[in-house]
Amino acid sequence: MRRLALACISISLAALGARAGDVPPDAARVAALELEAGLAKRPFVYLVLDPQRRVLEIKARGAVLDTVQLTGIEVISQQPLLTRKTPGRPPIPAVWTLKSGPGDTDREVIAPTELRPAPKDDEEEVEPTPAATPTGPMPTPTQVPVPPPSYRSRLANGWDLWITDRLPPQSAFGTFMAAVRDGWRRLRGQGEDHPPAVTLAMSDEDARRIHHLMRTGTRILVASEL
Amino acid sequence: MAAEPEVLTPPPEPPQRYRWPRVVGLLFVAVGLVCFGSAAVLARLGRPLVATPFNATVSAGNPEVEPANLRKRAVRAEKELDKLHPKGVYIVVDAYRNQLHLVENSRVIRSAVCSTGTGIVLKDPRNGKQWIFDTPLGERMVERKVKHPVWAKPDWAFVEEGFLPPTDPNERFDDASLGDYALYIGDGYIIHGTLFKSLLGRRVTHGCIRLGDEDLEFLYRHAPIGTRVYLY
Repeated sequence: MRRLALACISISLAALGARAGDVPPDAARVAALELEAGLAKRPFVYLVLDPQRRVLEIKARGAVLDTVQLTGIEVISQQPLLTRKTPGRPPIPAVWTLKSGPGDTDREVIAPTELRPAPKDDEEEVEPTPAATPTGPMPTPTQVPVPPPSYRSRLANGWDLWITDRLPPQSAFGTFMAAVRDGWRRLRGQGEDHPPAVTLAMSDEDARRIHHLMRTGTRILVASEL
Repeated sequence: MAAEPEVLTPPPEPPQRYRWPRVVGLLFVAVGLVCFGSAAVLARLGRPLVATPFNATVSAGNPEVEPANLRKRAVRAEKELDKLHPKGVYIVVDAYRNQLHLVENSRVIRSAVCSTGTGIVLKDPRNGKQWIFDTPLGERMVERKVKHPVWAKPDWAFVEEGFLPPTDPNERFDDASLGDYALYIGDGYIIHGTLFKSLLGRRVTHGCIRLGDEDLEFLYRHAPIGTRVYLY
């Protein structure tokens, strides 16, 4: 009986000591918070990829400016058909930095061939224009190109980040045919090797609207449940 | 009388119509085997894209770290983030959708259609100097506000039209293009009005943010100097 009483007392004391606030925080979450605090100190936009919730958030100073819902997250790598091996797993939480991206290069260039003197105001008065005609900077006449829905960026860690509106087919027949096509390209010396790519699948509209954010130096915090 | 020897006649050949389908069938099988063999060899050479689930490894968890220390670090990081988080009134510009939001205490109080930069690159034929017509990304601040602003046209405004930039500064002033109000957000970028209202909602500017008259006036009245602007 005495033993039972002692056991009860010790359990009660232990329960008293373990208050709700004493639950130790998850080390990964703390590391992610610290990484984000580091990113938020700089006056730049950064991205937060949460693989668990399947979202990509556009953030600045810790505030969510926009959210992109992902339809899939995969690691896509080139592998021989018969001897597959799983690519290494990227550790998280981590900050990935874009080494180069399509936002740097996919631009149109306009260059006048020669410049002539600007007409003076009084010269314009010779042929007066109607008062309603707007003056000032003319709108750019060129049509702005629509960004593609599928593109790759190179990360500083040697991986690729592939934003796409559709993942490649993974049926046995589809993979076999892809292997045949790639084999044919390689036979003609046109084969290409890509590093493994973390692939974010999303709607084509979302893929297009984050295209301009994929430029050199863009940082992506990869962390779950921040 | 001896019997005449019986003349042996060869057995009749099967009609030819039975032979051709067999040959064609064999040909098909042979071609099929060759194709399949070639495909198999090519497939062996190829390296197709193979998807595996993104099973990232949680690596930051160090079991040796004391819980008390972890708790301290978490509180510190959360405080830092809270300190950095925008407060009061701030402006958010979505450069792809061409939308501007005025936010007050995390609540959008006004959304407006705007125009942002084309992203086009302009080259000066004289010296190869380049201008990129991007709306800047990141955080900026309303540095000053001007009613009835006058625009001092920079060189690119002339080069784009195929004109030489004038040497006389007086030829650069333009008091019509910026509309009634201008909010300067640094490095020559301005939130201003436009003469080309039909182009609102499109990426047509040289990096500035153009707004319609009513939205611009609302922004001018509600965003004080020092208001943060977040562009993405």
